[in-house]
Amino acid sequence: MNRGEVVSGVVLAALGGYIVSEAAHWEYLGPDGPGPGFFPLWYGAAMIVLSAVLVVQNFLAKATVAGRPVNWREVGRVLIVWAGFAVSVALLKVLGFILSFGLFVLFMVAGMYRRPLRVAISVAVGCAAGFYLVFPFALDVRLPIGVLGF
Amino acid sequence: MEIFSGLLQGFAVALTPVNIMWCFIGCFLGTIVGILPGLGPPATIAMLLPLTFQMNPTSAVIMLAGIYYGAKYGGSTTSILLNVPGESASVVTCLDGYQMARNGRGGAALGIAAIASFIAGTFGVIMLMLVAPPLAKFALAFSSPEYFALMCMGLAMVVLLAGKSMVKALLAMLVGLWIAGMGTDLFTAESRFTFGQAELLDGIDFVVVAIGVFALGEVLGNMETREGVAMLPVPKGLRNLLPNVEELKACRFAFLNGSVVGFIIGILPGAGSTVASFISYGIEKAVSKHPEKFGTGVPEGVAAPEGANNAETGGAMVPMLTLGIPGSGTTAILLAAFILWGLKPGPLMIQDNPELFWGLVASMYIGNVILLILNIPLIPLFAQILKLSQYVLYPIIFGISVVGVYSVSDSLFDLSLLTFFGLLGYCMRKLDYPQAPLILGLVLGDAMERALRQSLMMSQGDLSILVSRPLSAGMLVLTALVLAVPMFRKANAWRMKAID
Amino acid sequence: MVKRILIAGSVAALVAANAGEVAAQGFKPTRPIEFLVHTGPGGGNDLLARAISNIVEKEKLLPVRMQVTNKTGGGGITAMSYLSEKKGETHTIALFANTWVNGPLMSKEAKVTLKDLTPIVRLVTEPGVIVVKADSPYKSLKDFIDDAKKQPGQLKQSGGSIGSRDNIVRQLLMKNTGTQWAYISFPGGGERRAALLGGHVQIMVMDPQEAGEHLRNGSLRILAQIAEKRMASLPDVPTVPEAGFNIPNYLVIRGVVGPPDMPAEAVKFWEAFFAKVAKTAAWKKYLADNLFEDGFQTTAELVKFVDVFTEQARTVLKDAGVKIYR
Repeated sequence: MNRGEVVSGVVLAALGGYIVSEAAHWEYLGPDGPGPGFFPLWYGAAMIVLSAVLVVQNFLAKATVAGRPVNWREVGRVLIVWAGFAVSVALLKVLGFILSFGLFVLFMVAGMYRRPLRVAISVAVGCAAGFYLVFPFALDVRLPIGVLGF
Repeated sequence: MEIFSGLLQGFAVALTPVNIMWCFIGCFLGTIVGILPGLGPPATIAMLLPLTFQMNPTSAVIMLAGIYYGAKYGGSTTSILLNVPGESASVVTCLDGYQMARNGRGGAALGIAAIASFIAGTFGVIMLMLVAPPLAKFALAFSSPEYFALMCMGLAMVVLLAGKSMVKALLAMLVGLWIAGMGTDLFTAESRFTFGQAELLDGIDFVVVAIGVFALGEVLGNMETREGVAMLPVPKGLRNLLPNVEELKACRFAFLNGSVVGFIIGILPGAGSTVASFISYGIEKAVSKHPEKFGTGVPEGVAAPEGANNAETGGAMVPMLTLGIPGSGTTAILLAAFILWGLKPGPLMIQDNPELFWGLVASMYIGNVILLILNIPLIPLFAQILKLSQYVLYPIIFGISVVGVYSVSDSLFDLSLLTFFGLLGYCMRKLDYPQAPLILGLVLGDAMERALRQSLMMSQGDLSILVSRPLSAGMLVLTALVLAVPMFRKANAWRMKAID
Repeated sequence: MVKRILIAGSVAALVAANAGEVAAQGFKPTRPIEFLVHTGPGGGNDLLARAISNIVEKEKLLPVRMQVTNKTGGGGITAMSYLSEKKGETHTIALFANTWVNGPLMSKEAKVTLKDLTPIVRLVTEPGVIVVKADSPYKSLKDFIDDAKKQPGQLKQSGGSIGSRDNIVRQLLMKNTGTQWAYISFPGGGERRAALLGGHVQIMVMDPQEAGEHLRNGSLRILAQIAEKRMASLPDVPTVPEAGFNIPNYLVIRGVVGPPDMPAEAVKFWEAFFAKVAKTAAWKKYLADNLFEDGFQTTAELVKFVDVFTEQARTVLKDAGVKIYR
């Protein structure tokens, strides 16, 4: 039994339930045809049914078919990278793209890839400068600007 | 024949050094725009419009058309090399194109994309030239019931994109449908699933989801170990960087498939290149002798959607030039440009401004040639991107994703959505949920719901409108056939096993 | 001593003389102006804003640059939120349209209405035309209404969202004549026209510009025009009241609005500024080319108008069964 499938099945069933409950607030069938509640009701219901099928399938599966064990260390690495990215996106409002992105690159190269600090700094500076030259400078594409003005 | 004399006149106009230069500039700009995720031809054309007022209309049209085409060619580059869809229609190219790059055949994939685009683009222009007026009438006969049937056919493709678990593919599609439904309902102004956020009133932009799920999902997946996922080394030598003979042979049907499907769908106002590439990919997989290999890096999985993507530009010009009705976002802006220059697209345009119409058509041919010439030598250059160390490449991909999404909407909210979808993409990979059905649901869900409700409004609630009209009935039958394909296959396999 | 008195006196005189001028001058822009629009590049308000900034630049009406910024989303709600965050700002103004009035009525998520911002002037009103296919049996608006009476709910009109002018005119007509016909929304002008030309709907409301080309190639017929008085380009087409249907002339409007709490002198400056723009020959030419009407209204007139306009929309939409939140 694949635990991941069971968990995702439950989550999706819950999502389906939420969709159906919201859909109940809107018109199902209006005077001119289906209303805004029509489609969501159906695909929400389908979501519940299919998630149930997924979960049941897992329980019925032969015990010999084991799911791959989850390597939590690997997943942990990913989540850390993702958290770093999320933080840098949150900081965009304050620091602006150049700084925020530069810091993120630093974090990735030095923190995740364990390269020596000077390599990390040069890559970070290089990337940030490169992005600045290509996007706002050469192509006139706006980048998020922080309180510092760039 | 009038067409040939018109075409000769057109070539005379298009082949002047000045116009060749504008064509080249357009193609070049378009390629860059296509490579950058998010920034698309409509925004670029709109930004360049004021500049074009100083130019003569024919040259301006030629340049803008070049941007349109160039963007399609460019969009495939990042899709194949980085799994970053350059524009919405390139999502399908990511499926097999990126896998080909991982297998060391990245250069070949780029070459196939260029060749398929050239063949299909030329096909589109020829068809535009020969059959534009009668096709325009066909476009008008297409209305909401037919759109609904077309969208159903598109969604039925999920059955072909499913891979191992049909249930998971369907669930992914349903989530896509849900995201598509977010926003203000067109018919009643009711807002659905906006969680009280004004930013969600227009729903979630496709680019945010596609880049988040595909590009960021992929990169996050590679972060699991420090060594990441090894991409097979880029082979040395030009011959290994271009498609070899077997690969080209495998694509024979795909070239035709992409061209025809793309052109036909392009004609319909409202249906776009994303639908065309999905359907073309689905058809290719349905008729293939090795459907299970799709998604692992088969060349025809690149050729079909790329071709459809390009043929669609030719098709979209049909309603625009002959009826004055735009077929897509880009043609809508081109139409506005025409009107601003004082030109009036419509059936009278060919009579009133023949040198413009034929000049445009001729420049499309030339544009396709220029783009082929531009792109093939650039392949070794682009392929070098793959050689970049991971610790440089992956942060850059993060950066490009942010820039791409921000360039579409200037919205920090969209960037937080992007972050969320990146995580979702990673979870989908880990849990083996196919990503393509999510995109399919997202792209088609909204349109399908609208088409159904419009149809029922037209028929006062009578469902039979969907089957009483020949075109929509025909497409619904095709949809049913598509849905039946996996069942046929299973039954066949069963029979084979039984015989053994 | 005398010298000092003289100097003091002249200084005082100079100050007094200039004081009047300084009080009148008040606000003058010193930084680039942010001119906000709620459409993407190429959209209706975007083109108008760019035309305005072009005219301003050519006639050198401002010492600083006018920069058009696009803040799309929610039919104007994003732009309105953005503007509402810039309280008291004097160098940011926006171009508003009907949706800025109607949108907040119908949407729960809107946090600000047009009245909360600082209305400055109204610039244009846009007429509309009611069209049918050229081979349609209806030769006048009365023909259509009569047919609608005979088969209630069977005829169809294509148009934009339910808060758009297309639907509001429809609601007003239906109420006035006691008839009923269906309304089908299409998100794009191209699709609406395709539906009409393909015979899937019988009637629609269009901008005169849009209709122009189709008139030329003979594919459409105009039944009536929605305008205060007949447009110069359509001298033979009756207005809706002239065609026999006395409904209020619901306008499509565009004007300028500023952030909340804009200082009075800045508002006066902008009011006078746009009045100047509206008098230029280039502006008049722009109106004529695009078939717009000069709907200039001062700040005071605009504030009164917005109240009337909002109430009009609210009544019509409520009658139509739309959920109204404000």
